[in-house]
Amino acid sequence: MRDILVWIEQTGLGHWMRESGPWTYGIVNLIHILAVSTLFGSVLLLDLRLLGVWSRRVHIADLAAAVMPAAMTAFIVAVCTGAAMLATKATAYVDNPFLLIKFPAIAVGFINAAVLNTRPAWQELRLRALTARERRQLAVFGGISLTAWLTAVTCGRMIGYW
Amino acid sequence: MKNVATLVAVFMMSALPAFAHHGWGGNEDKISEVTGTVTTGVSLAGPHATMKIKDAQGHTWDVTLAPPPRTQESGVTEKLIPVGSTVMVHGHRNKNQKTYEIKVTKLTYNGKLYDVYPGME
Repeated sequence: MRDILVWIEQTGLGHWMRESGPWTYGIVNLIHILAVSTLFGSVLLLDLRLLGVWSRRVHIADLAAAVMPAAMTAFIVAVCTGAAMLATKATAYVDNPFLLIKFPAIAVGFINAAVLNTRPAWQELRLRALTARERRQLAVFGGISLTAWLTAVTCGRMIGYW
Repeated sequence: MKNVATLVAVFMMSALPAFAHHGWGGNEDKISEVTGTVTTGVSLAGPHATMKIKDAQGHTWDVTLAPPPRTQESGVTEKLIPVGSTVMVHGHRNKNQKTYEIKVTKLTYNGKLYDVYPGME
């Protein structure tokens, strides 16, 4: 972990973050927050729908089609800006426990989404009505996703409070 | 209703308690002053400007100044203070006495006072 942090601090990105003026970090931070709020908002809507507590009249497939491109785009922006902020003074975060919880939480969120994509209930959303059992299965995926992303966002915010 | 209760439970389980507040909560209310030699010059990168100084007892202090734009506004730039110079910092040290970290509101260098956080003790 320390080696990765030392490396990222010495990249051109790290140098640019440190040497391009006093407002750079603040602006990159702003873009990161915009991306994270878009990502979390998108994920939240879909997860609540999977849990069956939100906009049940909207078809899951329709909601997913609207929300997933926004979530994916926002995730890419968040990764880029997040890497830039980390690169600024990466070694200052060596012992930060929130960083160590945040990245696995993001991984859980992604693995959960990947597994969901392989489930017949998800693949056949538009083809047929789901059984009660399948709806419960989707709700579990929604619950895991919401927990994972909420943990990631919480830890991300808490990095600066350590 | 049951679903809403489940949702609230999920939220509560995943929300970690907020620890020390960003900035000042983890630091003493009283003022400390530390005089030392600059070992790492002022950096205006990151969420806060930083520098490192070594005091007479040989402890190296992590000095946290205001956010970069505000620190620069006070007159403290990266080129102002060469490594090896003596500075006196005024601010709030970490509550943990084994942690040599101080959040600085004022800095004196070369007989001049730099008010990093104007209006703040």
